[in-house]
Amino acid sequence: MPVFKAPFNGYSVKFSPFYESRLAVATAQNFGILGNGRIHVLELSPGGPGVTESIAFDTADAVYDVCWSESHDSVLIAAIGDGSVKIYDTALPPPSNPIRSFQEHAREVHSVDYNPTRRDSFVTASWDDTVKLWAMDRPASIRTFKEHAYCVYQAVWNPKHGDVFASASGDCTLRIWDVREPGSTMIIPAHDLEILSCDWNKYDDCVLATCSVDKTIKVWDVRSYRAPLAVLNGHGYAVRKVKFSPHRRNLIASCSYDMSVCLWDYMVEDALVGRYDHHTEFAVGIDMSVLVEGLMASTGWDELVYVWQQGMDPRAS
Amino acid sequence: MATHPQTHENPSISEATNEVQQGSETAKLESVFKNSEPIREDQIQNAIKFLSHPRVRGSPVIHRRSFLERKGLTKEEIDEAFRRVPDPSPSEQTAVTSQDGQQAVQGQIQAVQHAPAPVVMIPPPSLRSRFRWYHAVLAVGVLAASGAGTAVFVKRSLIPRLKSWVRKIMLEEESDPLEKADAKPSLAEEAVAAAKAASAAASDVARVSQEMMKTKSEERKNFEDLMQLLGVQVQEMKSLSNNIRYLERNSNNLPKVYSANQEVYSGLVKTPAERRPYANGSNIDYDSRSARSTSPPAPPADSSQPPHPKSYMDIMSMIQRGEKPSNIREINDMPPNPNQQLPNPRIAPKAKPWDYGQPPQDESSNGPWWQQKNPRSADFGYETTTARSIGIQNETSTTEPAAIQKQRSWVPPQPPPVVMPEAAEAIRRPKPQAKIDQEVVAAASDDQSGVSDELQKVTKFSESGGDGSGRLEITEIQEETEHQHIGQEGN
Repeated sequence: MPVFKAPFNGYSVKFSPFYESRLAVATAQNFGILGNGRIHVLELSPGGPGVTESIAFDTADAVYDVCWSESHDSVLIAAIGDGSVKIYDTALPPPSNPIRSFQEHAREVHSVDYNPTRRDSFVTASWDDTVKLWAMDRPASIRTFKEHAYCVYQAVWNPKHGDVFASASGDCTLRIWDVREPGSTMIIPAHDLEILSCDWNKYDDCVLATCSVDKTIKVWDVRSYRAPLAVLNGHGYAVRKVKFSPHRRNLIASCSYDMSVCLWDYMVEDALVGRYDHHTEFAVGIDMSVLVEGLMASTGWDELVYVWQQGMDPRAS
Repeated sequence: MATHPQTHENPSISEATNEVQQGSETAKLESVFKNSEPIREDQIQNAIKFLSHPRVRGSPVIHRRSFLERKGLTKEEIDEAFRRVPDPSPSEQTAVTSQDGQQAVQGQIQAVQHAPAPVVMIPPPSLRSRFRWYHAVLAVGVLAASGAGTAVFVKRSLIPRLKSWVRKIMLEEESDPLEKADAKPSLAEEAVAAAKAASAAASDVARVSQEMMKTKSEERKNFEDLMQLLGVQVQEMKSLSNNIRYLERNSNNLPKVYSANQEVYSGLVKTPAERRPYANGSNIDYDSRSARSTSPPAPPADSSQPPHPKSYMDIMSMIQRGEKPSNIREINDMPPNPNQQLPNPRIAPKAKPWDYGQPPQDESSNGPWWQQKNPRSADFGYETTTARSIGIQNETSTTEPAAIQKQRSWVPPQPPPVVMPEAAEAIRRPKPQAKIDQEVVAAASDDQSGVSDELQKVTKFSESGGDGSGRLEITEIQEETEHQHIGQEGN
């Protein structure tokens, strides 16, 4: 299974929603503490297992997250450590990029997510405790959602309702928002420690998963949010990212500071259904392809990007 | 959202149909994303008790809200609790904003009482600026007071001195003619008079000097007081800024270990308060560890902390020492052309697999390597795959039968197998035809009907998809689709 070695520590990986063989990687120098960043666009070579870089963009500060536009096939959006949100056109050479840079967040931008239903807007989550709503063609943010009491680590759109998104924050709450409402519509105190990531169930629009520093993943139904549907234990350290499968209703992928990537089925008694230990440092980025069922990618602080099919060994060549 | 480029028309149509379909559900479904529970009075009472606590009164509003949110209160409950907690009076507010147990603050408060009201009424947000106000006002007040005091004392001492001098001169003048008249009478008297005068003068001088001393000491006292007050102010500011930092980065529940390390981190990294929440926030466990070690890390004493890469520790320690890692380049990542046009999309957006309402069937394993699946991967250790897929189909078929088929036109479900021939017979009997039609419709729309159980069952089979006995129907559909699938594949 292909491995890509980046010069910097990996932070996030995302498959393109247009091209099956394309993915973007966000990396940061010096573990993202202090230094430059780089965005890699990788192509899976059709001939044999292999991953090659097709284009890369350098940034002055760490790139914490990257996401592909759902409306323009060659456009990706990057969340930068200096608080800026930059838009890149992969069809243009690096000297002509970025095509936009929005400097509004007061602190590091930690995540960016594009609206998969309306396809015209995206949200960014930042350590300045706010979430901002943007459109690519507007010079400034459309709205700022300021309610969290601490860093917001991720904001994710609902896969069915184009106006609803969820945000996970270091203030230990998960908030559901509707862009038509002035404030958050639900506040779920999901964990006792910081919540690092959240994702919606693609097949049940009322279900979402959160993962936290407390090493657990919890699955929630917003209709009965006082208690979780499931609590998934098994990671040895903080769980960094959680992702619902685009193809299987109950399948969740997660990556953790225990260097592993795990697969879970939260409807089953023994929820852990797969475990991959291919990383040699913190595993911090994970994605499951929307176009190819079973295709997964992960990246970590060991500067490696793995792409593999579920069930295969990521390190097999 | 107002204008869509040309290529978006196709997807927008499908989006529109999606939305129309969703429209009916949207109204009731989107309400699930809101709290519909009534306000709980017991929670509000707890919140009021919490908010009335003096310690809580001193904390910023955002922290109080965050605490209540973590306890599970809804927004409405929190707002209600805030409304009910009585507004604190200005003096109480100033008393509380200072550090607990600082007595000097009490004296300060009295001095500040006369400060202009608007200053006191300003809500807590920036304690630091309020402090500057107080500081300035206090300093001015004290200086004015001491100035006035010295002026008064000086006046008090100067005027008597002047008076005494004048008196002395007058006395001398008076005594001179008197003495001239009594030139000789008594040298002794003269001497006595001189002595008296001398003693009077001396006592005057003594008195005046005493008063001078008094003034001086009073002035010194004033200045000392002023210095003390200034020192107290500085202490106040320091402790308040510490408090602010403490409260900023801390939540109420976190253990002491976490809070202790905030101090260590405050000096870290390129600017204070940058990167810190990440380093602290993403894993509470490893904070203390990374702050401590600068030499090659020993195995962590506390096993709950993830071991950090050695180079991570090196970089952290470098930054702690104030050094910048050498591999950082100066990069200009601003847009070279800020008015660069967005590219024309070359491909129309693709529909998502979940837009069809159910997970897709297994794709073929032909094609590039990344599509080829390990036969094991389909199972994955799932023992109940088939049951689950049926379950999934059961659920979705009740909601959107039109969405069951993907990438194919909708195929109407097969007629149910004849399970109860008598019932089938009964249906086809012409006599109660109208009634049966009605009942069929009734059974279709909801579960109640006045017909016999058999009829009910049969119509249930055909209309709804639920229950175990519906499996037959579902599998038939599955077979049907599989046939179609294979048929399409053959093309």
